[in-house]
Amino acid sequence: MNVISAVKAYVVKMTSESEPGMKILLMDKETTSVISMVYGQSEIQQKEVYLLERIDSANFPNSTGLRYLKCLVFVRPTQQNVTALCNELRNPKYGAYYIYFSNIIAKADIKILAEHDEHEVVKEVQEFYMDYLAVNPHLFSLGISSCLSSLSWNPPALQRTVQGLVSVLLSLKKCPVIRYQANSSVCKDLGTRIEEIISKESSLFAFSQTNNCLLLILDRRDDPITPLLNQWTYQAMVHELLTINNNRVSLSDINGIPKELSEVVLSVEQDAFYAKNIFMNYGEIGTNIKELMDHFQAKAKSHQKIESIADMKNFVESYPQFKKLSGNVTKHVTVVGELSAMVNKFDLLDVSEVEQEISSQNNDHHGHLQGVKKLINSERTRDSDVAKLVMLYALRYQNYNNNDLIGLVELIKRRSVPGRFLKNIVNIIEYAGSHARQSDLFNAENAVKITKRFIKGLSGVDNVYTQHKPLLNETLEDLVKGRLKEQLYPYLGNRGSGRQQDVVVFIVGGATYEESLTVHSINRNNPNFNVLLGGTTIHNSTSFLQEVDQATRNVPRKYTRYIRNIQFD
Amino acid sequence: MAEADSIQEGFLCPICHKDLRSANNLISHFQDLHSEEKDLLSSIKGIYGKVKKKILTVEDQDLEHFKNEISLQKEKYYLEYSEPQDPGPAVSHTEYFKSVRRDRLDHRTAETNKLIIRLDRLLRVFASDRKQQEQELVAWLDGSTVSRCPSCASSFNITRRQHHCRLCGSIMCNSCSYFLPYEIAQTIVTPLNSGSSKEQSGKESETLRICYHCLDMLESRRRVQIDQVLQPIICQLYTHLQKMKIQVQGSVDMYYKIYNSLKSGESTYILQDLQSLRNTIADKAQMIDTLSKKIDSLPVDPETPKSAVLQTGIRKATSSYIKEELITLPPPPTPEELEKTKRERLAKVKVDDIPVSSTSIKKVTVTTGWSPANVANESTVSEEADPLLEQMNIVRSYIKQAREAQRFDEVKSLHENLNMLKDMYKKQLGKEKH
Repeated sequence: MNVISAVKAYVVKMTSESEPGMKILLMDKETTSVISMVYGQSEIQQKEVYLLERIDSANFPNSTGLRYLKCLVFVRPTQQNVTALCNELRNPKYGAYYIYFSNIIAKADIKILAEHDEHEVVKEVQEFYMDYLAVNPHLFSLGISSCLSSLSWNPPALQRTVQGLVSVLLSLKKCPVIRYQANSSVCKDLGTRIEEIISKESSLFAFSQTNNCLLLILDRRDDPITPLLNQWTYQAMVHELLTINNNRVSLSDINGIPKELSEVVLSVEQDAFYAKNIFMNYGEIGTNIKELMDHFQAKAKSHQKIESIADMKNFVESYPQFKKLSGNVTKHVTVVGELSAMVNKFDLLDVSEVEQEISSQNNDHHGHLQGVKKLINSERTRDSDVAKLVMLYALRYQNYNNNDLIGLVELIKRRSVPGRFLKNIVNIIEYAGSHARQSDLFNAENAVKITKRFIKGLSGVDNVYTQHKPLLNETLEDLVKGRLKEQLYPYLGNRGSGRQQDVVVFIVGGATYEESLTVHSINRNNPNFNVLLGGTTIHNSTSFLQEVDQATRNVPRKYTRYIRNIQFD
Repeated sequence: MAEADSIQEGFLCPICHKDLRSANNLISHFQDLHSEEKDLLSSIKGIYGKVKKKILTVEDQDLEHFKNEISLQKEKYYLEYSEPQDPGPAVSHTEYFKSVRRDRLDHRTAETNKLIIRLDRLLRVFASDRKQQEQELVAWLDGSTVSRCPSCASSFNITRRQHHCRLCGSIMCNSCSYFLPYEIAQTIVTPLNSGSSKEQSGKESETLRICYHCLDMLESRRRVQIDQVLQPIICQLYTHLQKMKIQVQGSVDMYYKIYNSLKSGESTYILQDLQSLRNTIADKAQMIDTLSKKIDSLPVDPETPKSAVLQTGIRKATSSYIKEELITLPPPPTPEELEKTKRERLAKVKVDDIPVSSTSIKKVTVTTGWSPANVANESTVSEEADPLLEQMNIVRSYIKQAREAQRFDEVKSLHENLNMLKDMYKKQLGKEKH
């Protein structure tokens, strides 16, 4: 169950089926992202694809073609794409067309296409199921930034999610048993739609091993904490502070950044240093970066000793690698440098400490309240961090009698925090307050947990900044032990036989990189289990709060009326 | 930089031959002016062509370092490289697509063929009573009831007169008419355009009035014909390039095979095999490089800006292929290393094969030569009497020939044969002893 390999295998098949020759790859906006997640341009060039073109670009219909090129078409099966293809086939720019749809396409559309192929240029028409973004081997995203409106599915988003998930299952040859989070209607809706497709397309899902896979559908609203926290592992941290978008990080906002570094690619497939350090924490990365630098400097020094012909020749021959290494070093040094600048500038360690305490320690209302207040009064703390701290407080102490949320709101108002952050505080409670959750996020101090904490306390190495474990960790551990409660996570339809060891976890409302690490460590610790994580998108706190804002727009306030000092206009 | 000054002639840029005076200057100069797009290979060759062989065997431990460089030891959780896996299912609609298309196109093809037959006849019509003859071939539509042009809907009158398409007989106005020059019509009818065009030379400037519908059908037929015949120069160069790549890839695969075999102490191949192959690969790399440069520098038609992008793309892909696959081959092991691994392997073999008598092992491992006198001393078999030994000798000479011709696959299979013969010979010796 490796989504990156699954997509790569399809691309290899696509490029090899069209026989040797110079090729152009014609894509739409979304399929461009699908491909760019797994292949860099130089890799795709090695597959004889020398040109890339967008079918949805404004000047595509009028651009000139090259008759001696073969055109690989890889597009989503949408109406616009079919229409654009029909126009293209009527006046073909290229010599031959190999058409691949990223998902199931209606027969009627094939017929329309065939009727337009008057020049007989089409050689292949196939469905290749890669309608999702493969982020890491065990992590995929559907790139839907906002999936709910008025707290239920936004219909196009539901449609896209169903298609995306179906393509994930197909590309991995899985016909799953479905379980969903009981209190969430959006999870049930999604599960039902997936089930319908599986039974409608039963011939497609007729794999030799059926029901050996579980699809577990969860709702982001059950754990609103994880996406709000500051992160300290490399990938998660970069996403939280700099934002990763389709493996690309924009650094253009940094002062004096050279042009070639204004956007850097962080791809596990192409960058060994990144793959090694993706789950390392901030301190470890610092050490590794230093090692990398030292190594590079030693290398550079050895290059400076050019005294003989042999030295010269060594230099020239190893130059491409040297250049590559130097590019990589510069990239990571810049990124880590920027992270560390932000950590210092905004006192993120202090912020994170309070965040971690509120999210994962025993009830200590007074202490937590003081911690938040102290940071609100600190000038170095960012408005967004202050607001997130208040949100964490609001979520944790929502039903606490001496809740001083109103006082905190007064305090941050005095800081003249932008209005959107105040709205966020209300919205997040409407979105994922205790009424919307089925799991005990904060008070689950059962015997097991207490013992665990005790043991951890003994070993005394727990990092203050990484105490928090996402709710998903507990859910998956229960699942691995076969203890996931059926009343909380019921089956939809067929429940299969035996225990499923391949698990696709899908979070409606977006997954996070912290959860990706959780899944990775579950996989490591349970070699018999193979968990794949997916989400409508991959959130950081900013994108998460935007989604919350979208989802709760026009929803009347039900649970937050008591916060009288925040009024919507 | 006093030291640097004293040996300044050593700091020549490998590409532009400029004296940079110090190592630092040279490196920054090289990085600034000769980015990786510049051709590294030819620069090496240009300067050091004469000592090529020597250069190619110089060890590059550096590269080994580069390969291991980011494999930092410390690890907790990290992502492994994704192993290739089988592609998921695919549903093909090609058959259905083609059947729909066939139904539709059969009609069109028939129509086009009909037009071409008519066109052929029309071309044979000569001047005098042309109009009448044309009407005999193609029935013209009766225009009396048609008051407007069917394609642009303008009404016909004294200034806008009715015209007929010479191919299908339909009616249109002058501005909706298209004129097919005779010489083009000729090429449509007889695609290969043999001497027949000269016969019709008298009609050079004449044209046929036809409608858009007929023009479209003829045009698409003509385009197919052109595409079949026309192969732009870039296609030829590219095909050649790909052919070379496949060839060199074969050599590279073989290089690794021999390399690994040598490294593991086998005696199937010898060190010279590896070196000669390395030279061959370097030569081919040079040729591939030249070819891709030629593609890159092809003139670009301003109407098709894409071809410029395409040409650069090919050049880039080729140069990174050369960089990543061809010039980073591991250097051949030194003779000392080779001896060492051979000895280690031999020691291992001896330990493994205790039951076999040691004398026979000694004899078998002698691969460099064999003298009849030797064998005669050790065994009772006389030289002419043993066809096996004779056979072995023949095989050895084949191996030598194959090696000279760089046919390494054959070297390997011949070696297998030789080993089989040796085994048989061993058994035979054993039997005779008893």
